[in-house]
Amino acid sequence: MMNTCRNTYTPITRRGMLQHTAAGFGWMAFAAMNAKLAQAADEYTSPLTPKSPHFLGKAKRVIFLFMQGGPSHLDTFDWKPELKKNGGKSASSSDNNKDKAGKLLAPQFKFAPQGQSGLPISELFPELSRHADDLCLLNGMHTSNAAHPQATIALHTGSVNFVRPSMGSWVTYGLGSECENLPGFITINPVGLGGAQNYGSSFLPASYQGTRVDLEAGGILDIRNRHLSHERQRSQIDLIQEMNRDLLGKHPGHSELDGVIQSFELAYRMQTSVPSVLNLAAEKASTLDHYGINNDATREFGTQCLMARRLAESGVRFIQVSNRGWDQHRELKSALRKNCAGIDRPIAALLQDLKDRDMLKDTLVLWGGEFGRSPQDQADSGDGRRHNNQGYSMWMAGGGVKGGIRYGATDEMGGTSVLGKLGTHDLHATMLHLLGFDHTKLTYRYAGRDFRLTDVYGDVAREILA
Amino acid sequence: MEFFSRNTVFWRAIFESRIPILGSVAYAALALTAYAADPTSDQLAFFEGKVRPLLAKHCYECHSTEAKKVKGGLLLDSMEGWMAGGDSGEVLEPGKPNASPLMESVRYTNKDLQMPPKYQLAEAEIAVLGAWIEMGAPDPRTGIKVMKASGIDWDKGRKHWSFQAVTKPIVPTVVDTSWTRDDLDRFILTKIESASLTPVPDSDRFALIRRVTLDLTGLPPSVDEVGDFARDPVSDDVALAKVVDRLLQSPAFGERWGRHWLDVARYADSVGKTRNIPFPYAWRYRNYVIDAFNSDMPYNEFIAEQVAGDLMTAADSKDRDEKLVATGFLALGSMDLNERDKEQFQLDRIDDQMDTLCRSTMGLTLGCARCHDHKFDPIAQTDYYAMAGIFASTTTLSGQQSRQGGSKDYHQPSLLARLDSPIPFKTPTGKDANAAKVSLLQDRLKQIQASVKKNEISKSRRAEVRKEVAEIREKLAKLGNTEADSKKGNNKSVVDEILDPNTPLAMAASDGKIADLALRLRGEPDIRGDVVPRAFPVILRQATSPAMPHNGSGRLELAKWLTSRENPLTARVMVNRVWAHLLGRGLVETVDNFGASGAAPTHPELLDHLATRFMDGGWSVKSIVRTIVMSRTYRLSGQNQTINAVADEDNHLFWRANLRRLEVEAIRDSLLAAGGMLKRERPAGAPFDASNVSDLSKGDKKNREGSSADTIGQPIRSVYLPVFRSKLPGMFTVFDFAEPDQVNGHRDVTTVAPQALFMLNNPFVVDVSTRAADRILAQKLPDDKARVRYAYAYALCRYPTETEITRALAFVSAGADRRSNWSALTQALYSAAEFRYIP
Repeated sequence: MMNTCRNTYTPITRRGMLQHTAAGFGWMAFAAMNAKLAQAADEYTSPLTPKSPHFLGKAKRVIFLFMQGGPSHLDTFDWKPELKKNGGKSASSSDNNKDKAGKLLAPQFKFAPQGQSGLPISELFPELSRHADDLCLLNGMHTSNAAHPQATIALHTGSVNFVRPSMGSWVTYGLGSECENLPGFITINPVGLGGAQNYGSSFLPASYQGTRVDLEAGGILDIRNRHLSHERQRSQIDLIQEMNRDLLGKHPGHSELDGVIQSFELAYRMQTSVPSVLNLAAEKASTLDHYGINNDATREFGTQCLMARRLAESGVRFIQVSNRGWDQHRELKSALRKNCAGIDRPIAALLQDLKDRDMLKDTLVLWGGEFGRSPQDQADSGDGRRHNNQGYSMWMAGGGVKGGIRYGATDEMGGTSVLGKLGTHDLHATMLHLLGFDHTKLTYRYAGRDFRLTDVYGDVAREILA
Repeated sequence: MEFFSRNTVFWRAIFESRIPILGSVAYAALALTAYAADPTSDQLAFFEGKVRPLLAKHCYECHSTEAKKVKGGLLLDSMEGWMAGGDSGEVLEPGKPNASPLMESVRYTNKDLQMPPKYQLAEAEIAVLGAWIEMGAPDPRTGIKVMKASGIDWDKGRKHWSFQAVTKPIVPTVVDTSWTRDDLDRFILTKIESASLTPVPDSDRFALIRRVTLDLTGLPPSVDEVGDFARDPVSDDVALAKVVDRLLQSPAFGERWGRHWLDVARYADSVGKTRNIPFPYAWRYRNYVIDAFNSDMPYNEFIAEQVAGDLMTAADSKDRDEKLVATGFLALGSMDLNERDKEQFQLDRIDDQMDTLCRSTMGLTLGCARCHDHKFDPIAQTDYYAMAGIFASTTTLSGQQSRQGGSKDYHQPSLLARLDSPIPFKTPTGKDANAAKVSLLQDRLKQIQASVKKNEISKSRRAEVRKEVAEIREKLAKLGNTEADSKKGNNKSVVDEILDPNTPLAMAASDGKIADLALRLRGEPDIRGDVVPRAFPVILRQATSPAMPHNGSGRLELAKWLTSRENPLTARVMVNRVWAHLLGRGLVETVDNFGASGAAPTHPELLDHLATRFMDGGWSVKSIVRTIVMSRTYRLSGQNQTINAVADEDNHLFWRANLRRLEVEAIRDSLLAAGGMLKRERPAGAPFDASNVSDLSKGDKKNREGSSADTIGQPIRSVYLPVFRSKLPGMFTVFDFAEPDQVNGHRDVTTVAPQALFMLNNPFVVDVSTRAADRILAQKLPDDKARVRYAYAYALCRYPTETEITRALAFVSAGADRRSNWSALTQALYSAAEFRYIP
């Protein structure tokens, strides 16, 4: 169903934001009552106040490892023996679909059973394979579009056609943040395709939008005070706050002005908390080594993964790290090997680290790209695959999912998902379920309609729930 | 799957009115043909023997083309019927009876959805339906064109307040006649008095001049202007009138109010979405809008020109150009240039045009009827396609084309309008040998431009590269000339236009192939219903509404209908927008939605009073702005008053001024003014390097992550900064700039930590504060106390209290460096909430 109903309705009453978020459903008002910072109704309540979900979810936070470009599931996590046998043969195409024509390309890497579960994982992930028993391979993924930008936006927001809140915003909207010193949703080095939409809050209040951390640019925009000493800035803020309180005195109960006062305090704390959480100097040399930060090939992603763990530990609700360059139309063998080598060790270290801290049980780790790749050879080069949205793989670990299982399957050649099919909305529904939400009830009233991350779709993959 | 929770209002409406409805679940689009095509003879026998009689007996009464009234927009007498689904989507999923809402409804497992409504089918009959769906729902009843019947209650719909003709209400009498200044005040006061309340006192002159100057120009008053007004010995009425008339004459008025219109026109300098290609000529439309507000162009003409300027008669070529540029309104939409389905692309474009036009001018959410009849308003899906035909008969000249893959050739100068020429610019037809050469040279040139942007060209190579560029340009010029010589002169520009951003091109609209459009079931381009003749929405059709021409798109007629006095929405929507900008909340709170799902007016008579005055006054925006700011209501202070607050906490009665946060443009422009940096002139041409029309979401990091991110330091007014979709400067995002994807008559106001970080740490703010401090220190003032007073007056248009002076003096004497102390003080003043709020 396409829906273009988008008439703007934005109440601007005094407690507008709270009423706004509470419109149309009672659970949130109830959740707010239980909240740690619950205050008299007239006082300002931070939109990031922790909230209770619909039921007790096993996952409390999400770390999403996004692989932009369309990683080849056929060479990584979806073992297809028939494709191995039929490599080089012409793909049968009953429907004259030219996208499906061409010669089949056998998996280019060896698969072997891993862990006690015996999950087949390709040789490209030697380190991650040691955590095979924690992985829940989602082999039946599919998505609506085979173009990078659309599929990327769909994965992040559930919608291709319209600007909608990103999944991280929905999660933060639903759960609030457990950290008073940091934003609830942080995305590290986001990719360009889809841009801010991938972490935008759209019609949800801006407090739920992802705060981007650009490692090259030194973290968060304007996070560093470069012109005043700490003490001097504190006294400057005190002066500002006295003026703000004076103004609030003239407009008693004005929640927005209270919000301004709180925004300065959070900003002040973030100046310390953000650089400190992003500063890896406090980590042991052995930890840096585990994440591969001392190695050129793994430094960038290792750094992101370690930061993700630190942010998770600090109470950030949704953390995304991004990795580019998985679009192997050509040079599949060399490029895919290089990509996997860049992430294998860091991800293994992240999973181990979370386990060591007893955090894997309530941290949902999600890995994957916007789609996968074709069983067919790209132009019979023997070294490339086309885009494929009909079937591909992602995986989850921790956060209440069963480990050591393959859920769903593609057909024999790996091109189309046929079992345990998980579309974008199903993935989102499942993620929300793990966090304790009925995805049909996590709604936000906008333009006269209750919107949800899953639109009017989505089925929870109950078989993977631990 | 839970599907009854959505559209609760809709469901309630359906059930309360006891309309039986079958199935309303939208499933992901299924490859239906894979299941349903070519039933076997066994399947056919089963269908004819069991299924068809069952459907005919129990379902056709409400769900067939023969039905007296089709319920829920669902037809079950053809395969196309159930494939199209009901009002909200699919009813059965071939092969999956348990996932099919039809089965759920006949099984009576959901008490909200039981079919048939009056009795339950026998077990055996339910089993037949289940078996039929299980086998893939084979159905021979194909080839029937489906036209859904409308289930709209027109009589009820017609009664909605905003569809009533604008009236001229009698001005009410009030008790306190001395309070009112303008008739509009009587409409406000009578309600306050009825609630046994009294308005708070007026603002003092300091607050008033700050408010009115920011409201009318988006800039703070100068210290002198504040002083002059505060000391003016004449009455408030006279003194204010002088100020208001001065402000209305300022070019800054159009820059402020033009920007308000640009918000609803979803103005941007790039297309956004997947291939974010810049619009090198959008600025012409932006300037047109600003100039229209400054020259006080009658609002009805302003709207008409944007809809059909290209079709109007023009006084001269300049007039023609302006009217052509106005239609850029239709071409500025955010489109998915990566959309490979041309029809989908066209329908999306039309949807953007209709949604933008109808919501911006009429507060009508017509876009909701693209896929189904409107759920709340009396707008049928046929109304949507009737109006869509007008735009389907229009060629949108956005300068861009959609295509899949790669990053080339989205920008097409041939798809723009040519200014100052009676003949629309056409693409050269027929390829010649030169075209290939031209293309090669252009590619090389683009390559060089890209390298230059990425700083990839070392100093030692620059001379060489410059030489090469000159040679290429020369060659291109020659090729262009050759072409021109052989083809009557109008192809010469093909080359130049690509190279020269100042070429006289504009985004616009023109009439295309005139044709009515077929309705699309569920909005799917491939599922066609009947062709719907072009027309205006039934609910707003008047006896006097012009008929659709056979030789034109109908935009000229659309413009006439839209701006006629009989249209009940156009004037109301605009005066409500003006009111909302000046008073902080519209008389209709949902400024972009005057439909049933929008808010009802708090003061319906006042709305009509203003709308009538607006039309009587020749649709003059300046007059209506002046009327409102000269009213007593506008002058009220923001003071709280306990009795009033208890009775009307949210100030629906307008008994005091609403505290309003400034828009990001006003915050930034105020900062620039405070630093003495603001240049008031309008910059010429495109607000960015228009020769670069590459995808903003691609390329090097700087390009990718926001080419406009570093523009906020430019000392020009914010309205002149580029608006790249998805690439707004950090400050714009942080301070809630209107998302330029769609109509945005009301900006969000968020209060987040990044705003505080911006004020505390952004180099732009620090720079402004230092410059402001330098100015304060350069003034000949007796002592620091006087300097503090000056600093407050300068930043906040008021003098500080004694407490504030003491605090500030303590603050500036605590730090070591005098300049830094004063800079930190002024920065604190700009950071304080008071600076970004209008009390």
